[in-house]
Amino acid sequence: MSSEVINLFFYYGFFVVMLFIIGIYCVLATFNLIRALIGLEILIKAVTLLLIAVGYVTAHEALAQSLVITLIVIEAVVITISVGVVVGIHSYNKSLDVRKIRNLKG
Amino acid sequence: MYSSLILLPFFGVIVLNLPFRALMKKCAFWLCLSIVLFQICLILFPQICCFSDKLDALGSFFKFDFAVDSLSRVMLFCIGIVLFTALFVQRNNCEDEDKIFNFANVSLLILCGMNGVVMVKDIFSLYVFLEITAVSSFILIAFNKESVAFEGAFKYIILSAVATVLMLAAIALFLVISGDTGFSAISSALKVSQGRFFIGFAVGIFLCACFIKSGLVPFHGWVPDAYSSAPASVSVLLAGVVTKTVGIYTLIRIVNSIFGFGDPIKHLLLAVGAISIVVGALAALGQKDIKRMLAYSSISQVGYIVIGLGTGTALGLTGAIFHLFNHSIFKSLLFVNSAAVESETGTRDMDKLSGLAKKMPLTGITSILGSLSCAGIPPLAGFWSKLIIIIALWVSGFRGYAIIAVLASVLTLAYFLSWQRSVFFGILKEDLANVKEAGFGLVFPALILAVIIVGVGIFFPLFINSFALPIENILGG
Repeated sequence: MSSEVINLFFYYGFFVVMLFIIGIYCVLATFNLIRALIGLEILIKAVTLLLIAVGYVTAHEALAQSLVITLIVIEAVVITISVGVVVGIHSYNKSLDVRKIRNLKG
Repeated sequence: MYSSLILLPFFGVIVLNLPFRALMKKCAFWLCLSIVLFQICLILFPQICCFSDKLDALGSFFKFDFAVDSLSRVMLFCIGIVLFTALFVQRNNCEDEDKIFNFANVSLLILCGMNGVVMVKDIFSLYVFLEITAVSSFILIAFNKESVAFEGAFKYIILSAVATVLMLAAIALFLVISGDTGFSAISSALKVSQGRFFIGFAVGIFLCACFIKSGLVPFHGWVPDAYSSAPASVSVLLAGVVTKTVGIYTLIRIVNSIFGFGDPIKHLLLAVGAISIVVGALAALGQKDIKRMLAYSSISQVGYIVIGLGTGTALGLTGAIFHLFNHSIFKSLLFVNSAAVESETGTRDMDKLSGLAKKMPLTGITSILGSLSCAGIPPLAGFWSKLIIIIALWVSGFRGYAIIAVLASVLTLAYFLSWQRSVFFGILKEDLANVKEAGFGLVFPALILAVIIVGVGIFFPLFINSFALPIENILGG
């Protein structure tokens, strides 16, 4: 690994950490179900960027590419199911506010 | 031949969704049941599957690379028996042909995912199969499209997705040092580059992800909600195998094959396990809803498994895996009993129930066996596994934790006895006078599970010889 590549990795790492912080803030701070899912998407994007950067730095581009493509497919499936669940919640409550769906306690 | 355990459910789903819907709706349940029975037979009698050479050829065509050891075989057997139970419960609770068809489809998918998790030996395939299992269980929790079920499913989705992100970040950091995703490659790379900060960080967030997935105490918020809002058959499946496979099995496999038992990991596992045992048991004492009580009890019992793993010795690992097996059996038995009570009386509130043992004798007897096994009363199966865990803790010098484990066992007995007392013993209330024994689909699996509990407990010496001794070989492997 030359020093240029490592420097590049630190730039990528900076943006990965920024995306992580934005995503976690979005999941924790919002009261809207769709916004929580968007926060999860940002988190997954951060991980995707990290995988690509790691693949580039360690010269395992082929492995990293196959992992990232699999990851994108799975992520699409998970988000589809989650949005289905959100639609279900909306059909009962007519609202997407987390504060209004507090049936389960204890 | 083990690749057939993934290929058969996968092709089962495809066959079920071919254009002959009317025909397939009739045979979906039986197809699913026969695949599950094939799995149980394959584990119990590996020699009878003489046609497995052809399946091997099929497996090599799909480039599968699986490792099956004695730990995987225990889990595969548990998955088979609990899915068998869940199918009967679903068929009993729901007459609608469409719903049984959908349930059979999704349970084949979840079977495929869990078998994959149990057999893989590469960390990215592990992630793929974990996601297959998780997505199928989101669908199953929201299966009846009730308001509370959507809520429980959403909580599970958020926490499970966060766990997935943590796991993937850890995988990416492992790739920096190893350049490969196989368990053995990462393990040897970790040994070379010990003590670097980001490796410690990666190990920590991976363990954290496993704790979220298995519902241990700092991250247990979704467990009672998901278990209690799901339909009865799905609760059996979730509590019996799904969280055990995606959480605990992954934890055992990863710690054993990749991380190794260093001192920080041991102390982390012991502390999290002990907190889970105590908090789960105390929270279970205060519940009025049967399913919520069983969910908190599940958290507490998972704590026993983790504390056994935390000793890092062969004896502790044996106890942990034996308790994992026992927990699958008795917790699915208790959820079947709660399903029987709910389907006959229409309520799960303990205050509204009493004296059901006279009206539902089989449910009463099997639930007593399940609760006593969970509380660790000899000679039932749960006693032996708890005994092994406590002895392992004592021998390896963690005496404080051993005392916590013994005392929490008393709490377990307390909440199960109060459950038995308020639901099955006592005077029958007037509005429950017309209750009768639950249907065949709820009694038959309960009897099978009760026979396993008693049989394993009584023939324990036979069982431990064929079961525990091979486990010592996988330690550190």
